[in-house]
Amino acid sequence: MKRSAAVRAVIALLALAPLVVIAAGVGLSLGAGKLSLTDALRGVEPDATVLFRLRVPRVVLAAIVGAGLSVAGVALQALLRNPLADPFIFGLSGGAAIGAAVSVAVTGTALGVAGASAAGWIGLLPTQFAAVLGSLAAALLVFTLGRARGRLHPERALLVGVVFNSFASAVVIALESVLAPEKTQAVLLWLAGTLGYEPQPVLVAAGAVVLVAVAILTALAGRLNLLALGDEGAAALGVDVEATRLLSFFAASAAVGAAVALTGLVGFVGLVVPHAVRLVAGPDHRVVLPASALGGAAFLVLADAIARVLFRGLGTEPPVGAVTALLGAPLFVLLLRRRT
Amino acid sequence: MTAPLLAVESVRYRHDAQAPEAVAGVSLRVDPGEVVGLIGPNAAGKSTLARIACGLLRPAAGSVRLRGDDAFALPRRERARRVAFLSQDEPADLPFTAREVALMGRAPHLGLWALEAPGDRALAEAALAEADALDLAGRPVAQLSGGERQRVFLARAFAQDAALLVLDEPTGALDLSHQVLLVRAVRRRAQSGRGALLVLHDLALAGAACDRLVLLRAGRLLAEGPPLEVLRPEVLGEAYGTEVDVVTDPATGQPLVAPRIRR
Repeated sequence: MKRSAAVRAVIALLALAPLVVIAAGVGLSLGAGKLSLTDALRGVEPDATVLFRLRVPRVVLAAIVGAGLSVAGVALQALLRNPLADPFIFGLSGGAAIGAAVSVAVTGTALGVAGASAAGWIGLLPTQFAAVLGSLAAALLVFTLGRARGRLHPERALLVGVVFNSFASAVVIALESVLAPEKTQAVLLWLAGTLGYEPQPVLVAAGAVVLVAVAILTALAGRLNLLALGDEGAAALGVDVEATRLLSFFAASAAVGAAVALTGLVGFVGLVVPHAVRLVAGPDHRVVLPASALGGAAFLVLADAIARVLFRGLGTEPPVGAVTALLGAPLFVLLLRRRT
Repeated sequence: MTAPLLAVESVRYRHDAQAPEAVAGVSLRVDPGEVVGLIGPNAAGKSTLARIACGLLRPAAGSVRLRGDDAFALPRRERARRVAFLSQDEPADLPFTAREVALMGRAPHLGLWALEAPGDRALAEAALAEADALDLAGRPVAQLSGGERQRVFLARAFAQDAALLVLDEPTGALDLSHQVLLVRAVRRRAQSGRGALLVLHDLALAGAACDRLVLLRAGRLLAEGPPLEVLRPEVLGEAYGTEVDVVTDPATGQPLVAPRIRR
């Protein structure tokens, strides 16, 4: 690859842009009811309402969450120098689970009727709020315990994250045993990653968080490349390793926090999208980061559309988190085989 | 009178509070145009001293100056523009190509977003050529042999374009012709007013490559001077604790060092 990183990044983004447009088109035209896009755009009811009140927010939500989880995955894989790192590795999933379970146990419902007014001002339900708090607290805990002698040790942080997630599963199982079965199911469903219909201000706020995270991480991309040389190798090239770790960790956590707040735990996106992008575009983070944002957005929008269509006949919808894995695993194996 | 490229003053360092001092009060300088060799037995403190010289380890006492400025007060990127470091244990499993790794040497010269200009790319290509790694440019480093990989990392150090090169055991994985190539590249750079500090195990190579040798043992300076003064049987015998023969190559006048092995 003789072209410069900037050129390769632009090529990757131009190649992915049509994919996002196609995914958005599919996401907008598929759904529970029949919809004529041309009618909707001409303002014919009820098509216009369905399009602008239901489908557009849903597609935007999926795009934001997909982009956020994917860039967080890229950053954490670079940060921990571990290809198996996913956005929830720092105990985020465990923290979210505890938060959600505790919230359901206290307020009595996953939909938080009692607490809806309390957290209503930011458009978040108490379960979501508790899950985000839980995941951020867990991330902070793991980050703190992963430090020794004034610096973060990736292996140590990884270990603490894994241990914490196991501990969290135990806490959730214990809580579930005292909760009513229907509440337990509500928690589990929410944790599995479900796309709903969020009000516009929430989408704007989450979109802004993810956009800032992408910008920060892309600015750090050159330094994330150098981290592959090891802490000392990066430092010898002028990288402030600690500051880079801290900043990219918090940018990634913010993106994951926004995603968790909106959809619970959508697995697999943050693992499969970065690797798929790397298989095609190479390891350079200056290309991989922005490309993963677009790729992740397209991937989750498509996964959501497929979830809605495939299960329409059954009158139900599986959590999108399940669809991402159902779709992502075979896709990834295909890519892997094609490359090697 | 220009400031020395590197001036290390009485530095002390221990890796652990309980560990003995790895470096126990050593001073060292590299002037423009000079190639200095750091030699000594295993665990003498050579690599530790090399890292201190690069500002990668902060000594408990003493000072490190790069062109007159305190290495630990300089901004990191400025420090990386003054000294390039090649470690003994560079990673083997990098997914990046040789060209991408050589370009990493340009990192301290790049701005926000870390995007290279054509000039940076040209310097990286030249550095690859200088390290005889141009034919490896498009290959992932993880697929290269040890010696090939070493040439790529050497190219990264060259591309960094620092006045001082600190190379820790740069020849270990290299075959004879590439050892010669390395020495000639380093000496060529010295001729243009730069300098190098080389940690070397091969004493004959050290004698041939360096203007001055610094012999360490157990974290202390044992001898320092031109190769002919340091590479003497009685000095080396004391440093390494084994009998050593030194003969002078009649063709070049360089000292040839051979351990005396009784079988």
